Amino acid sequence: MNTSTDSKNPILVLDNINLSFKGVKAITDISFNVYEGEICAVIGPNGAGKSSMLNVINGVYIPQEGTITFEGKQFKKMKPGTAASMGIGRTFQNIALFAGMSTLDNIMTGRNSFHKATFWETALNVGRVRSEELASREEVEKIIEFLGLQSIRKTPVSSLPYGLQKRVELGRALAAQPKMLLLDEPMAGMTMEEKLDMSCFIQEVNRNLGTTVVLIEHDMSVVMDVSDHVVVMDYGKKIGDGTPEEVMNNQDVIDAYLGVSH
Amino acid sequence: MYYREAGRLVKSFAADRRMLPLMEDRFVTTLFVVVVMYGLVTWLASDYIFSAILIPMMVLGVATLGLNIATGYTGQLSLGTAGFMCFGAFAAFNLIFRLDWMYIPLAFFLAGLIAGLMGIIFGLPALRIKGFYLIVSTLAAQFFAEWVFNAYPWFLNYTSSGVVNLPPFHYKVFPFQELTPLNDAFWHSSRGRYLITLTITIALIVACKNMVRSSTGRNWMAVRDMDIAANVIGISVAKTKLMAFFVSTFYCGVAGAMYSYCYIGNLDFMIFNLRRSFLVMFMVIVGGLGSILGSFLGAIFVYGWPILVTRLGDAIFGGGTLDTAFVENNSKIVVGTIIIVLLIREPGGFAALWNTSKQKLRVWPFSK
Ligand SMILES: Nc1ncnc2c1ncn2[C@@H]1O[C@H](COP(=O)(O)OP(=O)(O)OP(=O)(O)O)[C@@H](O)[C@H]1O
Ligand SMILES: [Mg+2]
Repeated sequence: MNTSTDSKNPILVLDNINLSFKGVKAITDISFNVYEGEICAVIGPNGAGKSSMLNVINGVYIPQEGTITFEGKQFKKMKPGTAASMGIGRTFQNIALFAGMSTLDNIMTGRNSFHKATFWETALNVGRVRSEELASREEVEKIIEFLGLQSIRKTPVSSLPYGLQKRVELGRALAAQPKMLLLDEPMAGMTMEEKLDMSCFIQEVNRNLGTTVVLIEHDMSVVMDVSDHVVVMDYGKKIGDGTPEEVMNNQDVIDAYLGVSH
Repeated sequence: MYYREAGRLVKSFAADRRMLPLMEDRFVTTLFVVVVMYGLVTWLASDYIFSAILIPMMVLGVATLGLNIATGYTGQLSLGTAGFMCFGAFAAFNLIFRLDWMYIPLAFFLAGLIAGLMGIIFGLPALRIKGFYLIVSTLAAQFFAEWVFNAYPWFLNYTSSGVVNLPPFHYKVFPFQELTPLNDAFWHSSRGRYLITLTITIALIVACKNMVRSSTGRNWMAVRDMDIAANVIGISVAKTKLMAFFVSTFYCGVAGAMYSYCYIGNLDFMIFNLRRSFLVMFMVIVGGLGSILGSFLGAIFVYGWPILVTRLGDAIFGGGTLDTAFVENNSKIVVGTIIIVLLIREPGGFAALWNTSKQKLRVWPFSK
């Protein structure tokens, strides 16, 4: 576990983010940093605005106020395409796989930015198509092996059990070789065993590839176990930010989790 | 089935990416195309078989494949298919008629490009709207085609009847054609037109297969299945949709050109009406959304069913017993029923039925 976050560079700086939907505030004045190479957990009760926060980071939602700075580049309005091209990968709370495609093809789409061949080159199967396809396949096979998806390579993802779908979605995000991964409840609804596998995958990616991870998770034991840094949200506000130990001793956080009335 | 995948280990990614991974499939397909389609059929089939069965089935199959690229692969509904065929047919006519040196394959290709550009223009609303509303906007393409060729007789070379007969016009199929024994009369005959249609159809099938097994096709399907997720992983949804519209209407345009030149032998915008757009849509539904094989199965079935009924009627009750109105109503009922049954039981159409039965055969008799 990493305790020296202060000495590290922030890869992502969120400054004074405000987001509302038709007057309903989802995020109020939130600022926090995510440091390079860390695993940052965003926690908080249901409806706290955690998913909305991830959506702001990669441009799915546009905040009314505030800025997003990723690797030194500041944005008022991030766009999903820009976020992807800058190296932000993402999985969703309600799995967002391509239901009509196989595991292999789903993960292959994750590598779309590496495919420069135009559609007519692909139609004629000339030029860079073959080399790009084979290079991607090789990379994707590594991911398939890493996540243990060999036996379901050609299976349509819609027929896979929930836990495996979550894994495939992680694979698709990894295929883009992101610098930062945003994982929205990657372990929700999983058995204990599946959760262990998943947290191992996340930690391995973080350690071996140096990928920064921002993850939303409800299971406190998992959060304590894997994260270097925890941000706590409640009713759209930030109520805690620090190491897991610091956060757990924070009175506001304890109140929020014990359901003290506001 | 007389061969199976069991024990066939794919040893490289290149081999796994092949169009037909099984050696036997490649062999049978090549044999079928070379020996049957180019060989026996070309040699033995009658004028009727060429003109009334094989050519229209292939041409409609290409149109169906075109619509399937937009609808089945990319999830963009369209009712403008016949309109885009119409653009293609008129483009091909004007290119061939006005440019002496024009060759048929080049003219068809350019006709496809022109239809494709129209496809991009009429596909622009797809960037803003989805589903049902997109149908309305693609209808605009249909009505625009019908209007423009009615309003500007130049496109028809001022033919007063509104219908141009094509066969008298000279056309060249390839350079140095005069050096081969196959003269103009051959290429105007049903056999010659069959060979042109067959070759173009095969080329378009191969090109489509190439696209769907590469990044192009994966991006289409990603946009179809979940456009927000596609966007988040870096796929430009707008570009992908427009590209799909372009390719889709390119295919429809080529189909339209072949429809005029190789099938009916005249140019008539009244033929490319809304009914035909619907017909192609039924072919997609019956054959199977997002399937190349399905596109052709759908076209063969929907086009072939009334012919089969007529022939069976002739065989059973004697020639000419079944009147055309009966056959027409019968096929409407049958195709309609099949569409309803398929939509409920097997939304994947004939193509999915075929795959399911293949899978059943694979595991038979050990499992059902
Ligand atoms: N697209 C949207 N339109 C309207 N309101 C929204 C939208 N997305 C989120 N909200 C609202 O914003 C608030 C925060 O939602 P969000 O999904 O971010 O919470 P969360 O912390 O992820 O909760 P959970 O743990 O249940 O996933 C909720 O009140 C929700 O209703
Ligand atoms: Mg959430």
